[in-house]
Amino acid sequence: MRYGMAIDLKRCIGCHMCSVACKSNNNLPAGMLWNRVLTIGGEAIDTASGTYPNDLHMSYLPVNCQHCANPPCVAACPTGASYKRAEDGIVLVDSDLCIGCRMCMVACPYNARSFNWKKPEYAVDFALGDADAPEHQFNVVEKCTFCVNRLARGEAPACMELCSGRARYWGDLDDPESEVNKAMQGRQTVQLLEEKGTGPAVFYLK
Amino acid sequence: MTTKTKTQNSFYLWMGIFAVLAVVGIVFWIEQLTQGLRLTDLNNYNVWGIYIVGFVLCTGIAAGTLIFASSAFLFQGMAEFKPYARLAVFTGAICSVVAAGFFIIVDIGHPDRAWNIITNLKIQSPLLWDTIILAAYAVVGIIFTRLLIRVEERKKDEGSLKVIAVIALIAGLLVTVTSFAFAMWVAHPLWNTAVQPLSFLAAAIVIAFALLVIVLAVLNKSGYIAISGGTLGKLGKLAGAFLVVELAVVLSELALGLYAGTGELGKIITWLVKGEGAPFFWVEIACILAGIILLFGNKTWMTVLGAVFALAAIFMIKYNFLQAQLLNPLISYAGPPGYSGGQGVYLPTLVEILVTVGILSVGGLLVTLGLNSLHLGKQIKGEPRA
Repeated sequence: MRYGMAIDLKRCIGCHMCSVACKSNNNLPAGMLWNRVLTIGGEAIDTASGTYPNDLHMSYLPVNCQHCANPPCVAACPTGASYKRAEDGIVLVDSDLCIGCRMCMVACPYNARSFNWKKPEYAVDFALGDADAPEHQFNVVEKCTFCVNRLARGEAPACMELCSGRARYWGDLDDPESEVNKAMQGRQTVQLLEEKGTGPAVFYLK
Repeated sequence: MTTKTKTQNSFYLWMGIFAVLAVVGIVFWIEQLTQGLRLTDLNNYNVWGIYIVGFVLCTGIAAGTLIFASSAFLFQGMAEFKPYARLAVFTGAICSVVAAGFFIIVDIGHPDRAWNIITNLKIQSPLLWDTIILAAYAVVGIIFTRLLIRVEERKKDEGSLKVIAVIALIAGLLVTVTSFAFAMWVAHPLWNTAVQPLSFLAAAIVIAFALLVIVLAVLNKSGYIAISGGTLGKLGKLAGAFLVVELAVVLSELALGLYAGTGELGKIITWLVKGEGAPFFWVEIACILAGIILLFGNKTWMTVLGAVFALAAIFMIKYNFLQAQLLNPLISYAGPPGYSGGQGVYLPTLVEILVTVGILSVGGLLVTLGLNSLHLGKQIKGEPRA
């Protein structure tokens, strides 16, 4: 089995709800996002490229860890802190093994990873999200886990819930009947930087 | 004042200066450990900065000095450098390796877990390869220095150096492997090229030879060693020749990027030539050209000044190598704060600069100690050699 997700770019409205769901569910420290919605358009977020009124272009691209089939971050890691689970293809970081060398961040073509540049600080003084949300350590690298804690109890990742455009699909890429595979049927799909040979488990529907 | 007391005075003076700077560096490193790497100008895109530049340069010095010293005993044309081999290996393969190790220690978030690299032994990680090479440099450096001193003391004959010289030469050439921490990643079109291993070798030779020119010129003036202007000039010209190789690499990158104009590499080169990175890039070009012109000059002052420019040139080459690539990621669409692709330029903070100076001072401290207590210089008349 291999977990994966599909994101319908025609349905994504750039509301950042997936980012927020991820952030609160995983109790992410201030300034950190595991899942972020980029704007394909102008120089700043939520701005279009081109000239008013007839030549404006703007679309959105939600980006989280691509849980690659061939992850460069896992090859780069000198301690085995970054590893790929054999049973479902999820790429994870063992914070206790991470030495904070950031070699994985250099290796990742998607800049999917974040470093705890300071002691984790939070907007509120109590923990948010799931009771079993991951702990956040100082001086180590973190990233999207496909919400392994939620998967363990049979739920989908947090970003799948609350998507106001209903643009996200989840499931086992090896199962033809899974929601993610059904969503891709008959649609043109792209993977980010497919030509780099990393084999992302995130598919974008055009 | 006798020469001896004069030498002792300058020994204490340099030891004092380096010790103070090292202590300042340690204080700021502790500050960085307490508050985190947020005290640096690094971020989730520009993840490596001046510490990694320092690491690359110090590893280069180590490799280049091993190549220098071994060549003196292996190649006829380099034989005139034999008397300076001890000093070179000690400075490069011992002091510089210590500094290179410190640069990694201050760069990583968890130096307390650094041993995980050894205990977990992930053979496919270039960081393990770097660790092994650095450790090998230290071992080869210590053995080579020891044997060179024994030969100088007439306790061994020169023929016994052949094996260690061959090992040291191979070790030096393996600096090419240190480029793999950068060159292996498909994420980075500027780094992911076959020229990088060779460029790292050329840079290692330039920086080691240029540093030796400066050290030898200073020690010649103080009377610690004796080197003729011609020999120093030859060393300078060798550094200059390899600096030409580095210039060729830079110009090739320029040609490839500008010809395409767009695309992955085009974006980076445009950023360097006329974008935000331009001030850094043109300083780099100016240093390279000044270094080459002066190193090929025939006056000793030109050689020494050229060596200073060559050091600056290699520093700028590696500085721009890092920031030009890291600040121009493959996916650079606008996003939320902190996740909008690489932005601005990299300017090390005062903390980064002081920690860097501190580490270099530890290297300087070791060199000064070695000069004072090991037989690294010329044979002083009348002083008995056991």
